[in-house]
Amino acid sequence: MKKGKLTIIVTLGIITMFLMALIFIQFKTVEKTNLSDIENLRETELREQLSSWKTKYQEVNLKIEENLSKIQEYEKNVNTEQESSELLSKELEQTNILLGKVDCIGEGVVITLNDNDEYDITASDLLELINELNYAGAEAISINGQRLTSRTDIVDVGDTIIIGGQRIADPYEVRAIGNQKYLTSTLSLKDTGFIDKYSNSGKSVKLETSERVIVVKYNSQMKIKYIRESVAQ
Amino acid sequence: MIVLTIIIGCLIGVIIGVNAPIISYTYSSYLAIAIIAALDSVLGAINSYLNNKFDMKIFLSGFFGNAILAILLTYLGKKLNIDINLAVIVILVGRMFNNLGSIRRYYMKKF
Repeated sequence: MKKGKLTIIVTLGIITMFLMALIFIQFKTVEKTNLSDIENLRETELREQLSSWKTKYQEVNLKIEENLSKIQEYEKNVNTEQESSELLSKELEQTNILLGKVDCIGEGVVITLNDNDEYDITASDLLELINELNYAGAEAISINGQRLTSRTDIVDVGDTIIIGGQRIADPYEVRAIGNQKYLTSTLSLKDTGFIDKYSNSGKSVKLETSERVIVVKYNSQMKIKYIRESVAQ
Repeated sequence: MIVLTIIIGCLIGVIIGVNAPIISYTYSSYLAIAIIAALDSVLGAINSYLNNKFDMKIFLSGFFGNAILAILLTYLGKKLNIDINLAVIVILVGRMFNNLGSIRRYYMKKF
């Protein structure tokens, strides 16, 4: 009985020793394991993390693509806007030039008409000249610094000529910008041209050509009171 | 006598355990459940020894059998995605308290 008890005690001691060793191994394992350490993570956890990272990656990729396409769209918009604004400003410039709102310069002719003893220049002479010039394709015309617009009036008032409400006096200098060849050839046609016709009837007319004819801008306000755009019903 | 043996065994075990290499974290939950099962067996053994009912075969089979069964149940729980190890721990800890109660009563009677 004594021997049996001893065996039991020894066995218990060994088992206890074994158990304590295991417990301390476990203590150490738990203590030393960094939970965020990848090597110690379980496979399933790693798989989960991997899949979640993949999903995130895909999402971010999608966002990037979205943003890139947006950027492209914006760039396109910017380009078209630039183009349209350029076009618009060009159009505005042209319109302003044609309307007479800006000073312009270009090749053309300068016709000087003088009163002489026999004959005074009248408004109808100027009108005829302007008509001729327009026929020859003049793009901008001014008389003594008065820019002619589509609404300019040229009338005789007593002995003087009034152009666009401004009284002008001799000598009458008509500047026209346009194709030089057309202008000169139209004006100096033999006998029927303006120069010949007027010279022959004893009026003082002088035609000069110039590469740099300056036509000043229309110097009063253009007011619109009654007209407005007609919209088709 | 039995107390002295257990204390000596504990000390040697601590020394061995401190010097032993650590195991992978993957298996530490299995080791933990095995430790609980073994602890329960040892307490049961002490209890039965004190009550003169100790049987070496029962003790050794219980010691290893319970530990292996606990490990297997934990493994099964993982595969089934159920925390069976919690149930195992509840049972084993309950038994540990029973055994401890018996041991305590034995010494209460003695002194």
